[in-house]
Parts: sequence; C-alpha cells; structure tokens
Amino acid sequence: MTSTELTQTLEQVRGGSSEAWGELYREYAGAIFRFCRRVLPSKEDAEDATTEIFMKVRNRLDQFDSSRPFTAWLYTVASNHCWDMLRRRRIRQDLETPDVETMPLEHPDPSQLEQLLEQSTNEQVRAGLAKLSARARMALVLRYFSDMSYNEIADALGVRRAFVGVLLLRARHELREVLAAGKPKGERSGSGSRAAGAVAGEAL
Amino acid sequence: MTVFDTHFDEMACLLYLDAQLEPAQANELRQHAASCAKCGALLHALEGEGQTLRSALIEADEPVPAHLFPRKMQTNSWPWIAVLGFAAAGAYTLWSTVFEPIQAQFVQAGFNQDNVMTMLMFSGAFWKGWDTMRGIAESLALVTLGILCLTLLRRRVRRSGAFAAVLGAIVLGMLAAPSGASAAEVRHGDPNYELPAGEVIHNDLIVAGDYVTIDGDVDGDLIAFTQALIVNGHVKGDVLGWAKEIRIVGSVDGNVRGGSETFQLEGTVARNITVWCGHVMLSPKSIVLGSVILGAGDAELNGAVAKDVMTYSSFARLNGITGGNTTARAGRVVIGAEEQARGTMKVEAHRPPSVDSGAKLASPLQFTEVKHGHDYDSAGYYWHQVLKWGASFLFGLAILLLMPAFFADVTHATRLYGTAGGVGFLVLVATPVLVLIMAVTIVGLGVSISLAFLYVVAIYAAQIFIGAWVGEKLLGAAAGTGAIAGRLALGLALLRILKQLPYAGPFIAAIALLWGLGAIGLAMYRRTRSTLAVA
Repeated sequence: MTSTELTQTLEQVRGGSSEAWGELYREYAGAIFRFCRRVLPSKEDAEDATTEIFMKVRNRLDQFDSSRPFTAWLYTVASNHCWDMLRRRRIRQDLETPDVETMPLEHPDPSQLEQLLEQSTNEQVRAGLAKLSARARMALVLRYFSDMSYNEIADALGVRRAFVGVLLLRARHELREVLAAGKPKGERSGSGSRAAGAVAGEAL
Repeated sequence: MTVFDTHFDEMACLLYLDAQLEPAQANELRQHAASCAKCGALLHALEGEGQTLRSALIEADEPVPAHLFPRKMQTNSWPWIAVLGFAAAGAYTLWSTVFEPIQAQFVQAGFNQDNVMTMLMFSGAFWKGWDTMRGIAESLALVTLGILCLTLLRRRVRRSGAFAAVLGAIVLGMLAAPSGASAAEVRHGDPNYELPAGEVIHNDLIVAGDYVTIDGDVDGDLIAFTQALIVNGHVKGDVLGWAKEIRIVGSVDGNVRGGSETFQLEGTVARNITVWCGHVMLSPKSIVLGSVILGAGDAELNGAVAKDVMTYSSFARLNGITGGNTTARAGRVVIGAEEQARGTMKVEAHRPPSVDSGAKLASPLQFTEVKHGHDYDSAGYYWHQVLKWGASFLFGLAILLLMPAFFADVTHATRLYGTAGGVGFLVLVATPVLVLIMAVTIVGLGVSISLAFLYVVAIYAAQIFIGAWVGEKLLGAAAGTGAIAGRLALGLALLRILKQLPYAGPFIAAIALLWGLGAIGLAMYRRTRSTLAVA
C-alpha cells in the first residue's frame, strides 16, 4: 500500500467504511501479529493481542496525527498494549531496575562477539530473545523489528529518553549471555559479554 | 560519554550507530574509529549484532494464523454445500436414531401429541408456569438486545450526547410501557402456606414455602416450590411441583408433573403423570385416567392406570391395574398378585421378573435381559467399537478437509490443558441453561434448538480433537493433511481403547470431553474476536 493509498484508506475508515477498514486490517494484521509474537510469551497471547490492538486502533483512529507515519503510531499502540498485558500479568520482573542506569557494562571483545554472532542462527537468536527479561526483549523488538526511534521507545516503555540507550545495551548484553550459555564449552566465546569483553581492559 | 584513555566505550558506539550523538561527538568518534583498529572493530561488531537482531526478528518463521484473516463465506463453493449435506445427514441420523424412538415410546405411553417438544414445553402447567416468567425474561432480553445494538451503533453515533439521549429515551419508554396483567396468583409461605378447605383460588396459583398444603380448590394450575406439597383439595388445572415430598390425596383434573424425593398418589389424576423421583408410590385406591411415565429409584405401582405405564427405575413393583401397555426398564421387576395388565407387558431388566401366580396378564410377558457393563466375550462388541471408531474418524476427516484452519486452531487450543478443561466445564454446564433461556425469550425456539444441536455436535466432536492431540503426541507434529489424518486415526483408536478400560475408562472419557469441548470453545472464541476486529 503506497502512502497515498494509505492516506485515502485512512480517510475512508474515518468516514465509516468497513471495506476500507478490512483493507487496512489485512495490510497490517500480519506485521502486528509478528510484533506481538516476538514480545509476548505465547502464540495464543499474540493472537489475542492482535485482535485487541486492532479494536483499539479503530476506536482511536481519530487521535492519529496524519503528519506522523502511520506504522510508527500503530506500533506505539501495539507496544503500549503488549506492555500493559505483560505488566498486568506481573511477569515484568525487571519492572523496577533502579541500578540499571548506573550498572557497569563490561566491554566485549569484538572478535569474540563476531564469532558468537556467526555461530548463532536466527532461530537461536529468537530463542535467546524469548529468555530475556520482558523489558529487555521489548526494547530490542521495538528498536530492531519496529524501527522505532529512541523517543518512541521511551514513550512506549515509560522511561526517560536518555535511559533508552542503556536499556538497549543492557538487553544486548543479556542476549549475549544467553547465546553464549547455549553454546558447547569448546565453542563458547567466553561467558557472554563478560568474557567476550575486556577490550576496554586491554585498552586501559 | 565515557572515553577510556583514547578509546570510546560501547555505549558511545551504540549511540553513534543509532544516530543519537550530537554531530560534533559523532564526528569525533568517526575520526577516531577510522584510525583506531580496536574501536573500529567494536563498531563493526556492534553493527553486525544489530543486523543479526534485525534479521532474526523480521524473518517470518511461522505463518500468521489463518483465522486472523476471516474470509467471507462463499455460499456457492462446494465445501459449504458438502458441510450442509453432512449436517442434514447428521440431523436426520440424530432424529431417526435418538428422538424418534423416544417420541414413539412417549406416544406408546399415551402422550399422543405429535411433537415431543410441544408436549414437554407447551402443554399444560409447564408452559403456563413459564409463561408467567416469560414477561420478565422478555423484558430482560429486550434490554440486553437494545444495549447490544446501541453499543454496536456507538461506533457510528460518535456524539456521546446523542447516544445518551437515545439510551435514555429507550429506558424511559420501557419504564412507561404498561406492564401486562399477571395471569396467576403468586403466594409466599411464611414459612408455610395453606389454602384452607372451602376457599377457592379463581386463577392459577404459584406458591413457594416450607410446607404447602392445599385443602381448598384451585381453578387453574398449581405450581409449587416447597419442601412438602400436599394436595387434599381439588386442582382443576395441572399440578407442577418441585419438592422434597409430593403427596396428592385429593383430585387433579389435569396433569401432574414434577420432581421430588418421594411422590405419593392416593387420590385421582384425570390426565397424565410424569415425575422424576427417588421413590414413587401409587396407592391401591389411586386412579390415573391417563398415562404414567416415571423415572425413579423405586417405583411401587399399586393403583389403577387407564392408559399406558412406562417406568425407568432400579426397582419396580407392578401390582395394580393397567388399561394400556406396560413398559418397565429396571434393575429388578416384581409383578404382584394384584397386577392386571390389559395390554402388552415388556420388561427390560438384569434378570427375569418375579411374577406372582395371581397376576393377570392379557398377553405373554416379553422379557429382554439387560447386561451389566461391556460384553467383552462378544464379537459384536468389538465390531461395534470398530464401527464407532470409523464413524468418529470419518467425522474428524470431514472437519479436517472442510475446515482445515478450524481443525488446526482447535488442535492447537488442546495444548492449553488447564484453560481448555475449565472452559469445557463451563460450556458443558452453561449451554443447556442458555438453550432454556433462549427457548422462553424472544430470541426464539429456533435459535434455541439450533444451539442445542450444535451443543450435541460439539460434545461428539470433542473426542476428535483429543484424538488428534494424542496422535500428534505419539508420532510428532505433522504438516500435510494425510499425515494429520493418520495421526487422527491412531489417536482416536487409542482414545477408544482407553475409554473402554474398566473403572478408569469413564474418567478418561469425561476428561476428554471437557478438554475437547473447551478447546472447541477457545478456538471459536478466538475466531469470533478476529471476525469482530476485521468487521
């Protein structure tokens, strides 16, 4: 759907056209389902969330600012919904992470990090993501699946903009730990980011 | 930003890659990385990590569930014609194998109405009692439907003021509408109710109380909810009672229907008796001018019944006069010396009935032995099981071929063991209630019967999806239709064997029913939500 077509479709939906709504739904339901699938723990949750998100989108379409990209707004609604779902279920164990801003992050060894990435298939990365804390997973999905800006991620997760970088970096470290833990001993590039690192140490 | 001596840290590199640094800082980092191998390598590794993440997240590793994209029904396509054909065939089979024989038995017992539903629901006190409640139920249904319509319309009526005005007008209209005159006298015992001898109620009487005693006359029907209902007087309509004890000493011109722990008739009933009780006693001086249908623990029939008698009980003593045919299905049947059966007498029991030499039977007794449990020695038993397995497999195959997405959804939902079990229990219990409510409200009998039919089909279909789950567990997940069908056949066979096990079998059957029914409910719920989202 081109941007002109999208604008026309949105206008028709606002005018009450069910057919236009059907078109919009079919265009984006797959992407939103995949987004939910990456963020939420089960397929059933993702299916439920997809339908609920589209109900919200339809009800709130009047609030959409046409000067902004529609997909960014759509992903904001989706991420808010999923984040609420996770929060309601109290699986957001990392809800309070007071020290994360000041948490020292060890620096990776670039060659070992590249080796770890080369050894990891997309499937292993996805499996690793599923093991991350909800906030870390959410941050990575918003950034690398939905292509959201730091401002949008900050809005969606309810954190300060300055904290988004820390959140993303911390999430990457968590993922490295998980991926490294899943490798046989001989193949491990140290223990994730910690042993993969020391570039900073070497630099000092 | 932290700089370790001359090197940039990981945070700075990430912010640089995500274009979050100020231009001056970004420029500084770019220049440094160009000349510093370590920082250049780190930047490269982080960029690669970002690409890996993007690629892993965007890759479409599993299809989007088909039911998230509900399609419009294609009325002319052959699958739907086939489904309708199967449904018609199924409905005919259900009617001819279940309802028709029951109806025939009822007709044989003297209930000559053409339609079982008409007889059960619309004849006499059953219907009149419900008719009184119908006004309330209709109002509730109207309000519910009205609110539903308004909620759906709300998307179009965007101005909340207009919406509130419409809603308010409807509520006011409903309040202002004249209420229908009550067709019955309603009495509450305090705690007991007594209609003294000589007093007459010129209407139907609905009464509730600890003890209800009717010594006077009721011109209409008597409907009672009580611990003990004793009718010494005269009821010109029907008697409909739910009580711990029902005792009729006087006379009833209509039918007697109800349920109680004990039922005792010492007087006269001009039409039929239909009761479900722990213990039923028709005393020697009692007279029934119609027929008697009993579902009871113990039944002692010592009175005179002008037409047919049909009893389903664990013990039955027949020791009175029966003008029509007698059918007794019981654990044990005793035919006493006073028994005079003027029609045929059919007995189905675990052992031959004990017949007193004084009993007068107009025709030879027809006895059919009912065996306990399964007859494992009989080849017919195994053949019967194979037929049942074949029927369930064909039914499952029809669902798989005609509605593959639905089949996949339900099979998937079976993996939510606990939730499916809970939902299954709810569906099992709540649907009959819903069917009854629909039958007496404006939603209508047609919808009610359709729902009841779907309920029966869903109960049968529950085993299909559990069978599919069992097959998948044994042989692993399958993608093609043929492979799924194979797993279904194996799973259904194993499930059938498990259901035949002594003691554990009934539990396994019950669990499979709840689980499968719940999975169907969950899948349908998801489909409905998807349809609502796209509609």
